Amino acid sequence: MDVRALLLRYALVIVLFVFVGVLGVSNASFFTLSNFNVVLLQVSTNALLATGATYVILTGGIDLSVGSVVGMSGVVAAMVAQRDGLPWSTAAVAAGVAAGGAVGLLNGSLVAVARVPAFVATLGTMTIALGIAYVLSDGQPISGLSDAFLAVSDHFYGFPVPVLLMVAAVVVSWLLLSRTRLGLHIYATGGNPQAARVAGVNLRAIRLTVYTISGLLAGLAGVVLASRATAGIATTGTGYELNAIAAAVIGGISLMGGRGSIFGTVFGFMIIGVLDNGLNILNVSPFYQLIIKGAIIIGAVFIDSTLNRKDD
Amino acid sequence: MPVQTDESNSSEAGLRPDGPKPALAFNRLCKSFDGIPVLREITARFMPGTVNVLAGENGAGKSTLFKIISGQLAPDSGILVVKGAPVLTFDPRHARGLGVSIIPQELLPIPDMKVWQNLLVGRERVSALGFLKRREMMAEARRLLEEFHLDIDPEAPMRRLGVAATQMIEIIKATSRDSDVVLMDEPSSSLSSRETEELFRAIRLLRARGACILYTSHRMEEIEQISDTVAIMRDGAFIRQAPTSTLTERQIITDMVGRDIEDLFPNRVIGANRTPVLEVRDFKVAGYPASTSFTVHAGEILGLGGLVGAGRSELLEAIFGLRKADGDIRLDGAPVAGSSPAKSIRRGIAFVPEDRKLAGVLTSLSILDNVTLPHLAGFTGGAGFVDNAARRARTLDVLRRTRTKYARLGQIVAHLSGGNQQKIALARWLVTGTPRLLILDEPTRGIDVGARSEIYQLIHDLAASGVAVLLASSDMPELINLSHRILVMRGGAIAGELTRDAVNQEGILRLAMGKTKDAA
Ligand SMILES: Nc1ncnc2c1ncn2[C@@H]1O[C@H](COP(=O)(O)OP(=O)(O)OP(=O)(O)O)[C@@H](O)[C@H]1O
Ligand SMILES: [Mg+2]
Repeated sequence: MDVRALLLRYALVIVLFVFVGVLGVSNASFFTLSNFNVVLLQVSTNALLATGATYVILTGGIDLSVGSVVGMSGVVAAMVAQRDGLPWSTAAVAAGVAAGGAVGLLNGSLVAVARVPAFVATLGTMTIALGIAYVLSDGQPISGLSDAFLAVSDHFYGFPVPVLLMVAAVVVSWLLLSRTRLGLHIYATGGNPQAARVAGVNLRAIRLTVYTISGLLAGLAGVVLASRATAGIATTGTGYELNAIAAAVIGGISLMGGRGSIFGTVFGFMIIGVLDNGLNILNVSPFYQLIIKGAIIIGAVFIDSTLNRKDD
Repeated sequence: MPVQTDESNSSEAGLRPDGPKPALAFNRLCKSFDGIPVLREITARFMPGTVNVLAGENGAGKSTLFKIISGQLAPDSGILVVKGAPVLTFDPRHARGLGVSIIPQELLPIPDMKVWQNLLVGRERVSALGFLKRREMMAEARRLLEEFHLDIDPEAPMRRLGVAATQMIEIIKATSRDSDVVLMDEPSSSLSSRETEELFRAIRLLRARGACILYTSHRMEEIEQISDTVAIMRDGAFIRQAPTSTLTERQIITDMVGRDIEDLFPNRVIGANRTPVLEVRDFKVAGYPASTSFTVHAGEILGLGGLVGAGRSELLEAIFGLRKADGDIRLDGAPVAGSSPAKSIRRGIAFVPEDRKLAGVLTSLSILDNVTLPHLAGFTGGAGFVDNAARRARTLDVLRRTRTKYARLGQIVAHLSGGNQQKIALARWLVTGTPRLLILDEPTRGIDVGARSEIYQLIHDLAASGVAVLLASSDMPELINLSHRILVMRGGAIAGELTRDAVNQEGILRLAMGKTKDAA
């Protein structure tokens, strides 16, 4: 690989470092441990969703419903968590995660069994999940949650629980995707479904699994957010699906399926997180932030496709 | 659970009093697409430990039958029996469970995965904890590649492999598992004779182990070499099944195509004139150390021979502008700099690539659009509208001459049989266009004998009209009988040149494999 290709390959990393460097020099509050913790906490929700998106996109699918699922699971968990006591708050967590898993399973069934295109199926469940959240909460925030439930997003041996969950999701996904049969079958399904089918891969089971994982992770994110916000709110996650997909795509997960690794996704959501944080510290207007983020997404995918053309 | 069919054992199994039970049997199997019957009441039996060739024209229904046996398609009616038990579920996983494996006609690589992953997907080694045993799988992949004498790194990305190497990977995938029924749909169509030997070695091992092999090929010489029985299909029906030793090649061809083929190759080769059309000087294809220099003249068919991986396809792609290269190319005396496919087409270079799926045809478009796509300008009237009557007439003529089997001109190419797709890839250049230089890479891959003779005549006629033809082929008779001169390549370089009078199969192989040159 020549210098140009190397520069191109690491262009994003370089941009990120320059950006971080400038921030650090120009602003005393950036390079602090507390700000680092803030960034990690901020990315933790998108990290869970982007990890879920990675599974789905690797099979060549897409999951647009996760944003609504975050709100719906938060509402479900909050309804249970209004009662006091450890058993009820445990049940609240389980109910929220299960609600997410149920939508995921529905997505998977629609795509794998009923053969509805993923884009359409998850666009539909995105609306349905939001509707359910509104119905359950009657459009009002569900507050008055027990202390035990609020502790879910607190600290564990000094580490914020959301950050721990993020690390766990990434590590488990890395093992699952790169070291197990399931992982290999996920890549094969996205890489060439017909080849995978002839090789004996159970496409239906694989698709069901990835959408369910995505739903479960979205449910978990919803529970954590409700706990952090001390309320279950139907619209909490609106638009989050786009950030999750963006993180995966920036990280080099091909929307055609079959290519990319979970570390790319980590890189993707960290870039988005640092960017958000830095632009906030610099007091850039949120309107401009949107434009900058959009440009970064396009730039990242452009670099990826240029490099791949070179590789052929 | 796959049951190992042991010959002595199965004959005593007593299921049939009249001898060993067939590994595979059909009873009145039928299948149609859009109301058009493709398989008509097929009834046949195939025994364990035998190699059975299925012979038939393009579109006869061979691949459809294979897809049913391997669970990719369900029959409309009739019974499929594998190892004595009727099959009720048509699903690839189920078929594999029954001990059926297949080398599909359309290769199925997973381009973004590594070679070892492609080889072993669906048959992973997993530890007690559920983790892949990567090292073991890698060693297994390496062993399999070595067994077939393939110099391929198991860690290489699959997308780097050419068609022939991809074909070898499919062959390894299907032959290295414990299967009782192995279906091989034109496995040799892109292989040179040396790789075909490896394939035959694997087939003989499978047969000795008691497997039942069904094999299709349009290379007639292979039938005698490898098969025990021949089953001949015509228009979706089995019209004959007999031991190979009782049939002559001529009989088989006549049965297949329903007429006599007098001569496969055109009668007399017109001598080329000496006007250079393509001049290639010190041409270095990216990734190959050696450089090449040669000239193709007007009216000349220049053959390119060599083993898989000799760099023929890469050279042709570079000349057409699909691949980076250094050096000097001239077309009609004028230098061609910084070429790209679009420029090449404008300058009169036509290219039929080896991999029809990647670059030859657009499978989701209609037959009509595929044949006329590069020539639309010629069919466009003053107002900018395409003259459909004219292009339909031209297309119909091409399809008739290439004996293409299809339902409608508007039919999408994906629904044609493999050989008929190849005819579409060729057809657009053979009749409609009159290029200066025609580059053909394995042009008759998968095309039946009947259509082949027509296509050879078309290539010959084009050359006779002054077109320069560059022909790479792994089919020895084709290369020898069509070319005026043959360049043999090895390791990206030209290992030697053979003129028409001095050409024979051994001479080509000797050069291709790098044995000492002889003066024959
Ligand atoms: N999916 C499909 N839809 C419609 N027609 C089809 C489809 N698949 C195959 N056919 C038709 O079925 C017929 C038999 O095709 P098949 O692929 O079995 O032929 P084949 O004997 O394998 O030919 P070849 O030697 O060219 O590979 C062809 O006429 C083809 O057009
Ligand atoms: Mg076929």
